[in-house]
Amino acid sequence: MTRWFEDIVIDEAFPLGSHTFSADEIIRFGMLYDPQYFHVDQEAAKHSHFGSLVASGWHTVSVGHRKMVDALFAEEERLRALGQEPGVSGPSPGVNKMDFKAPVRPGDTVAYTLTVTGKRPSNSIPGWGLLFNRLDAINQHGELVYHAELVGFSKLRDYEMPLRMRLLMALTKIPGLGKLLQPSR
Amino acid sequence: MNPITVNRRHYEDLALGEVVDLGHVMVSKEMIIAFASEFDPFPFHLDEAAAKASLLGGLAASGWQTAGLSLRMLTDSFLNTIASMGGLGFSDLKWRKPVMVGDTIGGTVTIAALRRSKHHPERGIVTLDFDIRNQKSEPVMSMRLANLVELRGPSIPLTEAAE
Repeated sequence: MTRWFEDIVIDEAFPLGSHTFSADEIIRFGMLYDPQYFHVDQEAAKHSHFGSLVASGWHTVSVGHRKMVDALFAEEERLRALGQEPGVSGPSPGVNKMDFKAPVRPGDTVAYTLTVTGKRPSNSIPGWGLLFNRLDAINQHGELVYHAELVGFSKLRDYEMPLRMRLLMALTKIPGLGKLLQPSR
Repeated sequence: MNPITVNRRHYEDLALGEVVDLGHVMVSKEMIIAFASEFDPFPFHLDEAAAKASLLGGLAASGWQTAGLSLRMLTDSFLNTIASMGGLGFSDLKWRKPVMVGDTIGGTVTIAALRRSKHHPERGIVTLDFDIRNQKSEPVMSMRLANLVELRGPSIPLTEAAE
């Protein structure tokens, strides 16, 4: 969530809202990223073991990600309205686990919930922390659509960069010299 | 008999260690912004100035777009040539390096495991290891995907067809 690393509470659940998947958007996503017959062709999909068109798992996951981003922005607004400075979320280093459990058919409504299950300061990026998140997606019948274990970056509020690192940062900004000092990746 | 997949390769035709060449795709600014606008509207995926100031250091594709494009390459070069029954999930997805505007990504997928489903004798599970790289051959993404595949002969006893 868009809170400072220090303010994130473990096991707090954030309902992210829901999304209803239309046949048109299932096919549109499928044509771009996952054009298997059961994701793009209503007639051909009847021959599959699904028995109908179903959304690509990557589509339901991408929508879940959008729901999470929207919730981050909403939390940012809420904190600003309270006169507090919101924290900063960074990009994600990866996903530990993603299980697709039940297919999403046209007209299905999927509700998403995010829970922070753990956190620790980053070893590789000073000033940032790692958040371990669980995302559960449930359809209108109460069935689990997917379960994910995600990792995200969140900025530390109380971090002060050591003096020598600040000096090094300043030196890297000098043209010519900077390139030589950049750590190789 | 599924008329869509009858002439495709089935579970029995896949071999452990088989390597699939995914080809490659160039990632344009338009593609990045179109995906990010719909699924990942962080400023560092939408706006060049905001992206420069972020951890990514420039306009970069959403990690989910990198995953989606990798899957698209896999669908074209492999999943649509076999009797695929869809994905079961994935693990250990790592975004190792951001995919920046103008980068070309591609790579290989290797069959890392093949096993029969215990509950559905007509299904097998193929485990696929992704190695996605940019034009400088730097790794940008890796993951392990589990995908269901139909068996041609589901009556083969489990023990004989299992890995």
